[in-house]
Amino acid sequence: MKSKNLSEKILRSVKAKGFKYIDLPSVIEANHIVQRSGENFRKFIFSFFDQNGSELCLRPDLTIVSCLRYLENNLKGREKIFYNGQAYRKSNSKKDSIIRNQIGFEIIGSRDEKNDDKEILNTAIKSLLNIKYSSGTLKIGNVEIFNLLIDKLDIPKRWKLRLSRHFWREKYFNDLLKRLETNSDVDPTIVEVDKKRYLKMLKDNQQLIVAERSIEEILKRFDKKVKDPRRTNKGKNVVKIIREFLKINCPISKAAEKLNIFFKKNKINLVVDQKYFPTSNNKIQKLNVEFSASFGRQLEYYTGMVFKIDIRTEFKNRNVINGGRYDKLILDLGSKKEVPAVGAALTLNY
Amino acid sequence: MKDLIKIGIPSKGRLRQDVLKIFHRNKLKLISERGERDLLGTVKTLPNVSVFYLHAREIVERLGDGSLDCGFSGLDLLKESEQNIQKKINVIKKYKFGIANLVIAIPDQWIDVQTIADLEEVAFEFKDKKKKQLRIASKYPRLTQQFLFSKGVTQFKLVHSMGSTEITPFTGSAEVISDITSTGETLRANNLRILKDGEILKSMGCFMISKLSLKNKNLKKMIKLFSKN
Repeated sequence: MKSKNLSEKILRSVKAKGFKYIDLPSVIEANHIVQRSGENFRKFIFSFFDQNGSELCLRPDLTIVSCLRYLENNLKGREKIFYNGQAYRKSNSKKDSIIRNQIGFEIIGSRDEKNDDKEILNTAIKSLLNIKYSSGTLKIGNVEIFNLLIDKLDIPKRWKLRLSRHFWREKYFNDLLKRLETNSDVDPTIVEVDKKRYLKMLKDNQQLIVAERSIEEILKRFDKKVKDPRRTNKGKNVVKIIREFLKINCPISKAAEKLNIFFKKNKINLVVDQKYFPTSNNKIQKLNVEFSASFGRQLEYYTGMVFKIDIRTEFKNRNVINGGRYDKLILDLGSKKEVPAVGAALTLNY
Repeated sequence: MKDLIKIGIPSKGRLRQDVLKIFHRNKLKLISERGERDLLGTVKTLPNVSVFYLHAREIVERLGDGSLDCGFSGLDLLKESEQNIQKKINVIKKYKFGIANLVIAIPDQWIDVQTIADLEEVAFEFKDKKKKQLRIASKYPRLTQQFLFSKGVTQFKLVHSMGSTEITPFTGSAEVISDITSTGETLRANNLRILKDGEILKSMGCFMISKLSLKNKNLKKMIKLFSKN
């Protein structure tokens, strides 16, 4: 009952901010998930087959279902929506509940990104007024700044894409950095053997398809790969810069200043201003507001501003709100073009 | 019969032949009343033992639910089984037969792909440029998925294969495969190449027991008997 009242209060406060309530289906086609994230999400989802053999699953995440709704209903323009319900995910940890009660709110299809980011954050903070807590932290990151940095580094394009793709997977990202440091990427002996093959294949029909890839495509990638510059000291320097960047933590008001000092010191032609962040206040309600350059690694789909709110209630620390920008999610789900989207979810499992 | 031991032996293939050799070396005569096709049997000198000839995959399942007390199967099949089953089985002895590797193999003409890192890039190209997922055919979906995740490959779709997995890249049902191979000859014959760092698991024939049968007094005898060779 207590949690129902809380949920109703929060829903009312979100509605008061001009968000429109929508219903979302509990069961979706598993194919949507696999198509978007490969097998990655499969480890979380509860799936089953219908009478026709189509694989369905319980929604593992409300955001994906909401974006699917936007796409499937062919919606256009700005939508401010909110919803609530359960999301279902498998977990290896006994501490985590497989049922997550969530309230979510989003702004989809709007080009006013920076203001939308602010609005989502403000709505999240307003919702928090309904919860009793003694202190807390609002952590803000920005995946876009990381990608801008990577783009400016002196490494092959393949490596830039690789690092951007795996930023959110901390363990594997660290493995990648180790590999970049030692340049253990291309084996020169194998390249020599394959070069002979390459010259031979150049004479083949370039349009011939081998397992969905044309000979032309294969040879083009081979050529690009063996021409990649890979001097050991370069890799080491780049890794040093990335590691140092990821250590940047400071009060949010100092974020732009700290980042710009870092860019200047490392001779990186980048300047960010405080507008990159949805707030510059170091204290909001009982929350300390911090910037963390490494934050943003929870979900694959974040592309810009990210935030999370952890609070302390009755001697326990809890994560209550997570949010951020995911401009590529609707594209990944099958849209022909990118649709800007930003949102947040409150977890009520406590 | 009290403390009857139910033992599973692979019903066909090389694994069966190698297991039968163990019985022969230990001078244990296997008896099947209805001839070679009989799937039930006994051991002449061990009156408390019943023999069941089953598919090697089935042996793992039955050890997991305790309907077999011990048995012979491949490590690959054990590792591919559900966590709940694996938790209920102990591997007592790893033999020098049935040795084979579970590997990731690609079409030989994909000369730009040498490592799993290359495969990860190609998988993203499939998603970004071709707007589809790279498909990987396997009889070992769990092990393949775990391995690829650990190496950073997430953008793929698993295609469950029932057999002749090697042909799938050329029939249009998958682009890449993971399969078990001992010499690599079948893969080469089918124009496939193992990735440099594409070894998922080294497998071999094993003697395993069900943890649900630990109270069976005769199980110790079996462990002693089959762990020496």
